[in-house]
Amino acid sequence: MIPPAAAKTFDELTLGHGVSLEDLIDRDALGEMVKSFYDLFGVPLRIFSEEGKLLGDSAEQIPLYVLLNTVKAGRAALSDVAGKVKSIALGEDGMASYPCSTGESYRVAAIQYDGKRIGRMILGPFVKPGENEPPPALLSLDPSLDAAQLLELFRGLPQAEDDSVVNLTRHLGRTLDLILFSGHRALLTSNMHLASVRESFRELEDKNEKLQTAFDRLKELDRLKSNFLATVSHELRTPLTSIIGYSEMLVEGLAGDLSAEQREFVQTIRDKGEQLLTLIKGLLDLSKLESGTMSLRKTQTDIAAVLRDVSQTMTPTARKKEVELVVDVENGLPLMWADSERLRQVFLNLTENAIKFTPPSGRVTLSARMTAVDAARPEDAGGVVIMSARRSAIEFRVSDTGIGIPEEERGRVFDAFYQVDSSSTREAGGTGLGLSIVRRLIDGHDGTVRITDNTPKGTVFVVTIPVKRATIS
Amino acid sequence: MQLDFVNRELTIKLVYYGPALSGKTTNLQALHKAAAPGASGRLMTLETKDDRTLFFDLLPLTFRSQGSLAVRLKVFTVPGQVIHASTRRLVVQGADGIAFIADSRTNETQHNTESFMDLKENLKQHGLTLRQMPLIIQFNKRDLPDVRSDAEISELASKGREPVYLAVATRGLGVVESMIGLLHLTWSALDAEHDLNKKFGFDPKSFLAQVAQKLGNPKPVPEILQACVGGALDVLRPEAG
Repeated sequence: MIPPAAAKTFDELTLGHGVSLEDLIDRDALGEMVKSFYDLFGVPLRIFSEEGKLLGDSAEQIPLYVLLNTVKAGRAALSDVAGKVKSIALGEDGMASYPCSTGESYRVAAIQYDGKRIGRMILGPFVKPGENEPPPALLSLDPSLDAAQLLELFRGLPQAEDDSVVNLTRHLGRTLDLILFSGHRALLTSNMHLASVRESFRELEDKNEKLQTAFDRLKELDRLKSNFLATVSHELRTPLTSIIGYSEMLVEGLAGDLSAEQREFVQTIRDKGEQLLTLIKGLLDLSKLESGTMSLRKTQTDIAAVLRDVSQTMTPTARKKEVELVVDVENGLPLMWADSERLRQVFLNLTENAIKFTPPSGRVTLSARMTAVDAARPEDAGGVVIMSARRSAIEFRVSDTGIGIPEEERGRVFDAFYQVDSSSTREAGGTGLGLSIVRRLIDGHDGTVRITDNTPKGTVFVVTIPVKRATIS
Repeated sequence: MQLDFVNRELTIKLVYYGPALSGKTTNLQALHKAAAPGASGRLMTLETKDDRTLFFDLLPLTFRSQGSLAVRLKVFTVPGQVIHASTRRLVVQGADGIAFIADSRTNETQHNTESFMDLKENLKQHGLTLRQMPLIIQFNKRDLPDVRSDAEISELASKGREPVYLAVATRGLGVVESMIGLLHLTWSALDAEHDLNKKFGFDPKSFLAQVAQKLGNPKPVPEILQACVGGALDVLRPEAG
């Protein structure tokens, strides 16, 4: 709980205009102190705030007052006394004495802190020692009161010399001053803690806001970059198609026969053009995927057929590199809800990669089998009990016996343009776009892709894609 | 500054600023020790286990002028450690005058500079500039070896605007002089802004003399003010140019 003074400013708390008695002391503890004071010295004590609120009372019922309270005149006299002692003007020394007409007296003193009056303490009632005869005013207060009983109760009042009460008052004042000082220090400390925290929080918020602005700006730039990529790759593709088309026509001899050397040169132009076109298509795909403008055309797809097609396409490449390409598809795989063309692209890419990084006489395996995944994605923390309905899925594994990917690189190979070996002398070619497109396409199928080790050496790309469309969004 | 018209009481806030361990708290302790009984309240220190100031120290001093205006000085320190930046900013808010306590040792020069920049920045956050703020600079720890020489400090001080004092706060040397210099500047600034002398029939000279006396320095005020080694004590007058 925030202490009531928390709203006060630092200046109010330290320059001395905002501190009140209630701020500085614990009421219960003050009550205990007042009670113990009474137990020790036998003089009743009450403590009021500067606004006249009772903060501590020795709470001992004075038998004489109990009796007086039973009659109207007695009640009036007591309430008169109570009003007077609470409001009596105090002298320069901060003290005043109030003698009641009914014989007893009170001693009133200001409670000061840091040169300011913040409350008053009232000691009494008490009578001088040996003063055993009540004044006539008390005896004649109400005829219905029993004189003998009044006399007995009057004699039961606390007895004290005024001087010793003054000393008691001074001692109490000094004790209170120490308590108030400690209270003030504690109050300031807690307030300063709060204020410092608030101030630090404000600073952090300022910084956060600046970071957020910078972040928003970056996001906007990223969007512009994607747009730019999309536009540029589209514009690059159009003339390139013509270059490839015309060189093809030249190779086919549509513009007359070519010498062997000419044919070889034109063939090189065509091949490099195709290479460039693949790269540009990749860029275009990536920018579409990034900007979310690529739409997947999902249908009921026979995934085994897709994998066979991939294998057929890649067999010449594998043979050229003397790498064995094996397809191992479980029988009876169901149709899956997918974009067959895009999945073909995914597995072509993974297989091509695998062959690329596998040395001659190595082996690349393309396999598929049924499995099940949790409907809840790992990132949806909690609710496992509710969400744990399993979805059937197909797990694809593209394994090679190549150089492998170090553990710490595995998270990053899916980033666009990332190459594990980015030196200019690296053996394998490639733009670094393939895997980032693969991951985005798999994301688009609600699937996952991860990398594990192949034993004894090599890499396995494990792709898991649910068979049916998600029913829980 | 807080002015209580009903009780004819003026509260002035003075802040002792400076790098960690330059002797700000020691300055206040020396003032507290020097103050006559009744003129000073309890010195409140909020410190950590290693005796470093956690939030601030607070020393209340009360003086009553002939014009029946009571002047209460509340002298604060700030925590010097770099991490307490937010606390320093809170404490310095609303200061009427600032004493910058620098460590005289040569190898502390960098810390002095950093702390001074920090002060400037914190004032800026409150919409204030150093130019507006009554300021004195005290080079403390003059008794230690490897300190910057008197000649060096005087020469630099003569170029600056702020009065510069030399002190050994642990022995109370230069502490009251710094305080009187700061109070003189602060009062001039407050009077220029609020016309206090006229409004309250206040005589600042006799007030300063009273403060000096209650702080145990019976010398005439002009002599005390001359203890500074550079700068100007009337910097608050409109300047030429």
